[in-house]
Amino acid sequence: MANDSGFMERNYFLLRRLHSLTGILPIGVFLIAHLTTNSSLAWGGLALRGKHSELNTLEGGQAYFYHEVEWINSNVPHLLLIEITLWLSIAFHSVLGVYYARTGKNNTQRYAYQDNKRYKWQRISGYVGVLFIFYHVATLRWQWTFLVPGGAEWNHHFSVSTLAAALRGSYDSITFAGFVVSLFYFVGITLLVFHFANGLWTAAITWGLTVSEQAQKRWGMVCTALGAGLMLAAWSALGAAVMTDPVEARALEEKLIVEAHGEQHLLEAKEKYPGPAPTVGEEDIADK
Amino acid sequence: MSNTATTPATNSATAKQGRTVRFRILRCDGPGKPSYWSEFDVQPELNANVISCLKQIAEKPVMVDGKEVTPVVWDSGCLEEVCGACTMVINGKVRQSCTCLIDDYAPRDGDTITLEPMSKFPVVRDLWVDRERLFHNLKRVKAWVPIDNTYSLGPGPKESPESQQTHYKLSECMSCGCCLEACPQFTIEEDESKWNNAFIGAHAISQARLFNNHETGKQLKGERLDELAGPGGVADCGNAQNCVKVCPKEIPLTESIGAMGRATTIHKIASFFSGKK
Ligand code: SF4
Ligand code: SF4
Ligand code: FES
Repeated sequence: MANDSGFMERNYFLLRRLHSLTGILPIGVFLIAHLTTNSSLAWGGLALRGKHSELNTLEGGQAYFYHEVEWINSNVPHLLLIEITLWLSIAFHSVLGVYYARTGKNNTQRYAYQDNKRYKWQRISGYVGVLFIFYHVATLRWQWTFLVPGGAEWNHHFSVSTLAAALRGSYDSITFAGFVVSLFYFVGITLLVFHFANGLWTAAITWGLTVSEQAQKRWGMVCTALGAGLMLAAWSALGAAVMTDPVEARALEEKLIVEAHGEQHLLEAKEKYPGPAPTVGEEDIADK
Repeated sequence: MSNTATTPATNSATAKQGRTVRFRILRCDGPGKPSYWSEFDVQPELNANVISCLKQIAEKPVMVDGKEVTPVVWDSGCLEEVCGACTMVINGKVRQSCTCLIDDYAPRDGDTITLEPMSKFPVVRDLWVDRERLFHNLKRVKAWVPIDNTYSLGPGPKESPESQQTHYKLSECMSCGCCLEACPQFTIEEDESKWNNAFIGAHAISQARLFNNHETGKQLKGERLDELAGPGGVADCGNAQNCVKVCPKEIPLTESIGAMGRATTIHKIASFFSGKK
């Protein structure tokens, strides 16, 4: 223990600044990209540029999102390295964040200033955010399907249908457990977007970018605008995912796979990821 | 003087003379002893403040239940809000008691005023706390101009009118401790051996800024920045910005925190590439 605190103290400045930095790079930058991609589920239908004119807006968004995810998973170089960097950064930011948060003591009851409340919520959103990210990555990336009600296993060939099924709790309809998961997503993403926007504001003071009160106010407006935009992206992504019917989405995905890669590819994908047939019950797709 | 922490609940114009005001006071018989609440009724004199009422209580230390007790102890000095000694928590917010007017805080008959000692410093007795750590933290950043010598050093370098403007505001700090009391990152630490690694507080960060910008004070700039970049330094600040709202001298503490954040960033990057440490 004594050695531990010695390490923290010897490297105090570096650790503090790395904690601040990792929140922005890579985590914050990834958050922006991630929410932009995911919200395309809501707006992508408007960005298809004439392709898939037979689809309505919601289906168009699904098609767009499907192409985005396919592209990321087949074209982004050393994806695993990027992922591992992210996971390590998040782990580092979380562990240090909890350690730092424990050095303070909230006093919003006595000093109910808005800045002070944000100080408190920065810590609360951190705690909840870590739990949410862990659940999110464990279920949708590491395939810990035992944590997914209904047991849907996300994969990038069927990104829309498996996502919707994981959030709704089954391939058929929204179950109560699915509702709880979706609610957890809503709370999680809302708090994390706040955490990022507010963290960006405080980081500017920590690093000494904003010194004067006016500069802090101006930067506050920039952070608020960014936060509002990301919040909109996050909510629309979640809303669109929960509103998606997994079975219909699966049919659309299969059509898109054939269009892009041919029948053979679909057969292979289907064999690997059987998913739900419209007639197949939940028990058949639950993990073995 | 106006700031949010001391905004009175009501207008003094409505204050009724000859009224009775109840004081609810958090007392403590000595270091380590338990705290307990006591209530006293006072008929405030014209234009009374908290200290003058405490004096009335000292003259006749009889609680509302008629029991006579030892007088309530408090600390004070200047009685005009320049020494900071009388700082306490009044109606839940920290401020100086000598300038806390009863007409503002308790204008009606039967109004109550609560008094508590500051919670971030050890209590000596009743409302009197030991602010030693506050001064210790000023020493940590060498909050002075180094001119000690055995012979005359002659006149110092000139200060520009602009820097003088900034300095004047910063120099008004009276080491009262309000900024520390309201800060969620500054927690009480009775173990002196831990003081050097615990959060230094907004007052010391601001004083380091003052002396780092002072033409002669600059000589110790590096040492001050090393301290502020170390454990318990400026990066411990969580930017809750309570300090600036409760400072009775309206010192731009959050600007000082930003300025010292910038200075430590530059200092550390520079010493990474060229420094010895
Ligand atoms: S801004 Fe920093 S020093 Fe001021 S009250 Fe907040 S945490 Fe404390
Ligand atoms: S900075 Fe303000 S609140 Fe803090 S000790 Fe100085 S005068 Fe008091
Ligand atoms: S007695 Fe000096 S500030 Fe109140």
